[in-house]
Amino acid sequence: MEFAENNRISHRQLYRQMVLAFLAPFMLCLFGRDRILGPAGIAGTLAGMVVLLFYVIFLIRLEPYYSDLEKSAGGFWGRVFGCFFVVYVIFTAAYLLTVLMEIVPESLLEGVSGKWISLCAVIVCAFGTHKGMQRRGRIAEVSGGLLLGSVALMMLLCLGQSRISYLMEMSVARDFSGRNFIKSTYGVLCAFSGIGLMPFVLGNVEKRGSAGKTAAFGIVTLVGIITGMLILLPAVFGWNRLLTEQYPVLPLLAGADLPGNVLARFDVLWMGFLLYSMLFAVGSLFHYGHQIIRQTHLGSGRYWMAAVVYGLSVLKFRGWGIEDIYGKYLAYVFVPGMILLQLFLMMRGKEKRKKKTAAAAGISMLLFLSGCAGIEPEKRMYPLALGADASTEGFEITYGMPDLPQATGQGKEEKNDQTSSLTITGADFAEIEEKYERTQEKYLDMGHLQVLILGEELLENGQWLTLLDYLMDEPFVGENVYVFRAKDPGEILEWKGGSGTSVGEYLVGMLENRTSGQKKKGVTLREVYNQRYLTGGMVILPRVRISGTKLEVWM
Amino acid sequence: MEKTEISKSLRANEEYVRKRCENCADIQIRPMKLGEERKVDCLMVYIEVAVSNMMLDDSAIGKMVNHFWEVSPEKIQEFVANNSLGIADVKKLGSMEEVFSALLAGNAVFFMDGYDQAMKISSKGYPGMGVSEAEAEKVLRGSREGFSDSVKINSALVRKRLRDTRLKVEERQIGTRTNTMLHMLYMEDLVREEFLEDVRERLDAYEIDGILDSGMLEQLTEDVWYSPFPQYQTTERPDRAAQEILNGKIVLICDNSPSVLILPSSFQGFMESSEDWNQRFEMASFLRVLRYLALAAATLFPGLYLAVIRFHTQILPTNLILSFADAREGVPFSSVTELLFLELAFELIREAGVRVPGALGNAIGIVGGLIVGDAAVSANLVSPIVVMIVALTALGSMTLPNEEFASAFRLIKYVFLFLGGFLGMFGIVLGIYFLIAHLAGLLSFGMPYLMPFVKKKPERGVGDGILRMPFQRRWQRPLYAKRNESVRLRKKTEEKN
Repeated sequence: MEFAENNRISHRQLYRQMVLAFLAPFMLCLFGRDRILGPAGIAGTLAGMVVLLFYVIFLIRLEPYYSDLEKSAGGFWGRVFGCFFVVYVIFTAAYLLTVLMEIVPESLLEGVSGKWISLCAVIVCAFGTHKGMQRRGRIAEVSGGLLLGSVALMMLLCLGQSRISYLMEMSVARDFSGRNFIKSTYGVLCAFSGIGLMPFVLGNVEKRGSAGKTAAFGIVTLVGIITGMLILLPAVFGWNRLLTEQYPVLPLLAGADLPGNVLARFDVLWMGFLLYSMLFAVGSLFHYGHQIIRQTHLGSGRYWMAAVVYGLSVLKFRGWGIEDIYGKYLAYVFVPGMILLQLFLMMRGKEKRKKKTAAAAGISMLLFLSGCAGIEPEKRMYPLALGADASTEGFEITYGMPDLPQATGQGKEEKNDQTSSLTITGADFAEIEEKYERTQEKYLDMGHLQVLILGEELLENGQWLTLLDYLMDEPFVGENVYVFRAKDPGEILEWKGGSGTSVGEYLVGMLENRTSGQKKKGVTLREVYNQRYLTGGMVILPRVRISGTKLEVWM
Repeated sequence: MEKTEISKSLRANEEYVRKRCENCADIQIRPMKLGEERKVDCLMVYIEVAVSNMMLDDSAIGKMVNHFWEVSPEKIQEFVANNSLGIADVKKLGSMEEVFSALLAGNAVFFMDGYDQAMKISSKGYPGMGVSEAEAEKVLRGSREGFSDSVKINSALVRKRLRDTRLKVEERQIGTRTNTMLHMLYMEDLVREEFLEDVRERLDAYEIDGILDSGMLEQLTEDVWYSPFPQYQTTERPDRAAQEILNGKIVLICDNSPSVLILPSSFQGFMESSEDWNQRFEMASFLRVLRYLALAAATLFPGLYLAVIRFHTQILPTNLILSFADAREGVPFSSVTELLFLELAFELIREAGVRVPGALGNAIGIVGGLIVGDAAVSANLVSPIVVMIVALTALGSMTLPNEEFASAFRLIKYVFLFLGGFLGMFGIVLGIYFLIAHLAGLLSFGMPYLMPFVKKKPERGVGDGILRMPFQRRWQRPLYAKRNESVRLRKKTEEKN
């Protein structure tokens, strides 16, 4: 039948598959420390695009040789080539899973093991990947546009956080050199190495002769997004900070909020879009893995491929995992090997279902019963303000809590014996956290922190640098937190407003509940981070003190 | 299958009929003698309630039988042989199988000595409910007529709307013991041959003892048996069926079922209401968008709530999360158990409301919901916010026009509830990916379930997306119809030019 049985996808479905499969891996893995950044990155990306556009033409011509590698290269070599691509598929899928294993527990699900994340992802991604190409085309068709639109919207919203002065840091950094340019260009080519699998797909694309245009359009779209991100990231974070971030997209998401205060933060939703794209990418790798195995007559990879990918993602040999070797594998083995193989195929010039498992259900049940750490809202403590100062032990941290019945207005009949602040001292933050765990029944939820008050002594003796390192490692602390300085932060945090308002709400109110002309200029944590990486110093912070029964803020 | 011939001897025929109808008290076998001096032996066989005496008196054959009292036996033979087919409600039957098929369908059968054929005297058949309002698909604007339990009445209701001989009604029987009558309706020049063949093949693919409702037929012939999603669209409205036939689809009407099947079906089809075509396009489009939002709420709301309060509290405004936390103070269960408890309580109320007859059912729904919700909050079993979540989820589910489709999402909601509760947003994304992957693999008679969202080529003038286009912009039929008959609207003035 014209709709389903010919198992062919349209050009639009090919384009959307490209966008959906590459977008999140690029957004998460391409930028950051020791990766593609700066002017050299932009130039390298554009140069890489030109090379890729020519490469696509070459790939279109190669399609007949890929349809049956055994015929094109001979029985033995055909299988060797098939194995070569299957290894790439397995390594790439395993690498993407390690990225998921790292970022999901760190920025989304605290307390859930990365191994479970990886297992869930493998089960879901491997589902039905042996079925026809049209299925993948349809998944991409219904969700590709939505994802592309969301990423574009996210980038647009991030523009509001950018500053020209931060962007200018990039030009001062003198990053542009021939070496960096070549490194970036090759990096982009390695990142796009998945395009090398395109000839396996082309057999299932309608009007394959003109599919090159679609693929080229897909490359241009992705390069456009990469270039946009290469400009946006330094404009939001500043160049020096960017050099220290491993996944700079994650803190970027935290600031991309929609107007209207519907939600306090949208980063979880943006993250959801990226996760969807990651799952699609892993699913696509499984699908093409099956396809390659079938076309090279290597049997069926339906079950073992998923198992091997999962194993590779979680296993470590002497502390080395797939994430440590994947970059080198791409740069020194796969990309050169693939080009040689494709040239070889070109030179030779030859033309050439089913058992269902209930394992998923069992594993899912096991997973649900295995203690994934969801914590009820009433069992969390929500510090709205954090005071930090130096003490004889090292640090003194004061958490300023809201008065719950006062804040919610629900007035459940219960005695309000909650203290509004909690002070803990310790030599370092690990000790402070340990003391908190030992003494407090509630989970410390830093996701609603609004205000950070630094003590004078902390600022003077340089301990604030350690505090910033600690806060940067706390993924749930937003970078829009306002920072103040005070002589005694503990005293400030014990203050209660006339209507029972907590310090956090009061100070934020003082900065935000004004018309635009009256608005006071607050300093956010992001600005503090930026200054630290730019000059190593602290920005001038507004001071806060108790004046009678009121809090007073001045510069 | 070998057929049993009708004998010229009435005695042999009567013996055969009596043997097969032994212990069937409802089947009346009435021998009679007709003609001058009562010389011609005849036999009338019928089901007592299905064929009324009034019908026998009033039908043409009834009148003919009365006329035979005066006619000579030779003339009766000649008369029947020459004229019976000319009578509107009479059909000749050549074998005993046909005789029993007609008899069990609720017709009377007439045998005559010396004549090797029987005559079917059509009747309205078994007693049924008649035409009533479509309870499950009520509309504010549009026809009030709904399908009944009788296949013939249902076919007639469609024919009433499509008065065209190109509307074909194929009759077949299914079920070796139920002999359920099935009508397959399609517009001859619009339907794709491959669909038609596929449907015929699937209907003939199984031999089953009985089909008592279209639901059984649906499950027997669908593409993917394990999917919770209905792969046939059902409707109780003749206008909807007629509309879909005009789109090139096939309608299957099963006897004894007011729900007719429309095929092939698609995701978007389930989100459409018959009313969409009667309302102004702006309002219809708005309602469709609202239905999609309701679908998302019905499926994801509980899972998202759990994901947010258990894992991603930072995305809520501080006062809101504090409010949630305060509301949950004193609730002894985890939020997953709490939500699951209330969702299941709501399912019980819903099920009880359906089973309990009449107005009492509605009362149970309202009173049960209010009392259970309020009592549960007062007893600190659940927090007030959870009552609101469950209520909004239920409202979302009830907004969907097709109950079976909504039921699938009602079921999937529980999967999302667990995914969100134990894996947070990651679980929700896993679930969405899995769901879309499943839907992308579903086909309905070779047509992707996600049509028209996964069309290979964008087509102008079809207007089958989420928004309902104005009629002037919908000049093409959807993909289901033959492409050479794709135009459904053109201006007469253009034709003249």
